[in-house]
Amino acid sequence: MIDRRQPPPTPELPRYRLPPVVETKLANGLEALLVEDRRCPLVSARLGFPAGSKHDPAGLYGLAESTAALLTEGTTRRTAREMAEEAAAIGGSVRAGAGADTLVVAGDALAENLGRLLDLMADAARNAVFPEEEVQLRKQNRRQELLAQRARAEYLADEKLTEVVLAPHPYAHQSPTLESIDRLERGLLAGFGRGHLTPAGAVLILTGALPPPAQVLETIEEAFGGWEPRQPPAPPAARFPEPSRSITLIDRPGSVQADIRLGRLAANRASPDYFPLLVGNTILGGGASSRLFANIREQRGYAYDAHSAVHPLKDTGSLEVVTQVRNEVVDAALEAVLAEMSLIGRDGVSEEELSTARNFLSGVFVIRLETQEALANQLSVVKLMGLPLEYVEQYTARVWAAAPEEIRAAAARYMNPAQAAIVVVGDGAKILKPLEKFGPVTVERAG
Amino acid sequence: MPIPASEFLSVEKYELGNGLRVVFSRDHSRPVAAIYVIYGVGARSEQRGRTGFAHLFEHMMFQGSANAPKGTHFKLVESNGGSLNGSTHPDYTDYFEVLPSNKLAVGLWLEADRMRGLSINEANLANQKEAVKQERRLAFDNRPYAIAILERWPELAFRNWANSHSLIGSFADLEAATVDDVTQFFKTYYAPNNAVLAIAGDFQAAEARRLIEAYFSDIEPQAQPRRPDLSEPVQAEPREETHRDPLAQVPAVVVGYPGPARRTPGYYRLAMLDIVLTAGESSRFYQRLVKGRKSVIQYEANLGWPFAGPSDYRDPGQYAMFLLHHPQVSAGEVVRQVEEEIGAVRDQGVAEEELARARTWLRAARMRQLESSRARAMLLGQYELLDGQPELVNTEIGAFLDVEPGEIQAAAGQYLATQRRSVLEIAPGGGEG
Repeated sequence: MIDRRQPPPTPELPRYRLPPVVETKLANGLEALLVEDRRCPLVSARLGFPAGSKHDPAGLYGLAESTAALLTEGTTRRTAREMAEEAAAIGGSVRAGAGADTLVVAGDALAENLGRLLDLMADAARNAVFPEEEVQLRKQNRRQELLAQRARAEYLADEKLTEVVLAPHPYAHQSPTLESIDRLERGLLAGFGRGHLTPAGAVLILTGALPPPAQVLETIEEAFGGWEPRQPPAPPAARFPEPSRSITLIDRPGSVQADIRLGRLAANRASPDYFPLLVGNTILGGGASSRLFANIREQRGYAYDAHSAVHPLKDTGSLEVVTQVRNEVVDAALEAVLAEMSLIGRDGVSEEELSTARNFLSGVFVIRLETQEALANQLSVVKLMGLPLEYVEQYTARVWAAAPEEIRAAAARYMNPAQAAIVVVGDGAKILKPLEKFGPVTVERAG
Repeated sequence: MPIPASEFLSVEKYELGNGLRVVFSRDHSRPVAAIYVIYGVGARSEQRGRTGFAHLFEHMMFQGSANAPKGTHFKLVESNGGSLNGSTHPDYTDYFEVLPSNKLAVGLWLEADRMRGLSINEANLANQKEAVKQERRLAFDNRPYAIAILERWPELAFRNWANSHSLIGSFADLEAATVDDVTQFFKTYYAPNNAVLAIAGDFQAAEARRLIEAYFSDIEPQAQPRRPDLSEPVQAEPREETHRDPLAQVPAVVVGYPGPARRTPGYYRLAMLDIVLTAGESSRFYQRLVKGRKSVIQYEANLGWPFAGPSDYRDPGQYAMFLLHHPQVSAGEVVRQVEEEIGAVRDQGVAEEELARARTWLRAARMRQLESSRARAMLLGQYELLDGQPELVNTEIGAFLDVEPGEIQAAAGQYLATQRRSVLEIAPGGGEG
């Protein structure tokens, strides 16, 4: 007989097992990883380079991003339109994008078209010509997109927090400015592409319904084998200042709520602090059973959303707290958030919280790797961040190994409210005074 | 066109004595199982003075039930390694838990406990009214384009109040909601005979059946009210309106047309026309409006827009699109260019090769979608609730792929005609409008 008053007992979580990975390296340095997944007749591919926006020269923010966008807009072999039509005809797409650390050409197709997909991706990475007309269109559209993004309070808040937390490192500028978009030109884009897109240091991930490895390797060799390597440029020095408290208000008249961010430099995946921090962050604001959610949303009703996140980069990381509250409670909410941030570092976490966070992180990690695209993304992150492949299989074990005292220590360090930068986007006329209770406020205009 | 065997999902369906419909699709390749519960109640079930009820109720579903006090739902799912959420739509409200497969029982227990007896009290209701107001500020009042898309657009596109009123509701109606109102709403609509339970992924059918029998089978069914009259008058004149958006920086325009009834031949023809016109970078809109004319910056379009897509498309529905355009091009000119593209299909039809691309695109997109157990459970549940045929998850693709070039051409003239058109211009800045 089942007792319906109690939740049912269930076994321990299953351990995540990475499917077999075939690893190889071409003579030109390109590393290739193949993972078979036969559920659907589809393939996913990621061609990744350590060529993210941290390589953008000062004042040319958005160079990596726009270089990526233009890789599929015309090559020595295909016009932009031919490339788009061919990608659609093979049941997929080819697109490229850049983050802070990496530039990735992503493609997918029906499995029978693997060869054509790799040919398209190689063409984009090796032969892009950056046609003048496409460059001008990109600049014109990116400008308007940026204006549209900046009309959103959350975009302004994220952009400013990134800048305040990571400056003076180039990580501070992960998105372009109107001025930097104006400065982009064909020669700069082509130069960035030539300098950074080289098989040396690059990685190719293939997942899906693949032919036998020997045959796939032949196809890869065909598409990428003749690609001459060169030494990729060195990344900027990984120097970061000691974090400190600052308060920035971005005045957005008419805002009906205040968009609050708190942030600080934190650990990256390679740091021994990373897993304790990850578990501590989950307890602070990582889900619907977290302290911030329970306190700010469920108890006080201040916000719809109250959460925190760790953003690992290659050379550092950051911790961010996010909430949006009505104007009248901006100081009360900020106080409550600051109090929650200091508590874990002072008192540690309970057994129950620890068990919930560990299970949540391990379970969701497995769930998120369900699709072939998700696995391809995960593997490309691991390789481009310079982590061993075992990182994926050991993730769950390392979440479980994070000890209470390590979690408390990581929280004391990375959640220290006295070192958190505060950014608020909202109506200055209504929220400047309450914010000044927390220290001197730098006011900037939105837009 | 042959469809590979892997595109066929197993589909099993049965009904409990109390009317709860259950759909299973098993696939043991990943240790994940998704539970999806969909109730046949949405914003279009609401009455005047009660706007936002369906959505407020979605919040109440996470506030605790007879054996799972407040906070338990989130904690139990997360402490078992799962994720969860709910959402409110015009014609349904849905909830999911995705769990490691050996934790399935926990999700079923939680869903049954709240279907049987939700905790509705003053404190929970007051707290969730605040959360909803905050959500409204966040997602509507403080976000460019949101009021235009989610409140002005339905008012322009639909004439029947049941279809045109705000999904998130007004603060006044939310304030007026009492514990009694909410209790009655729960009793009526959150009954097993107004719901479908779908499970997809790695689980054993016999064990799932046993748990479902034990947890759900004695929840009382309720008499269901008639679905409100949603019928719309035939649109014979184009409609046009300008909305000034003080938060927007870049102008945009929404263009829409009343669509054919769900799953009729016209529906499949219009869906294929939509792919030819707007899907991906090889589409006509992308190549001619974004690239050729350089007038449009970004756009989105689909049957059921601004909601996610076909599952939200239930009669009466609109085929609509949102186009963000350059400030130096007027909204009127953008609409003219859109009609020129529609006119080109109407007058010259589509090439075989173009249609072949559209078919391939659709097949691949559908397969991609079905890779995730959550998406499979959702589709199965939606097909069962809306169409009574979960097996459409496997078979409906054929109706799309069978559409002929001449039928697409005819659909352009029949459905996307100027006199059936509504246009909402969204102009940046305050002032008169």
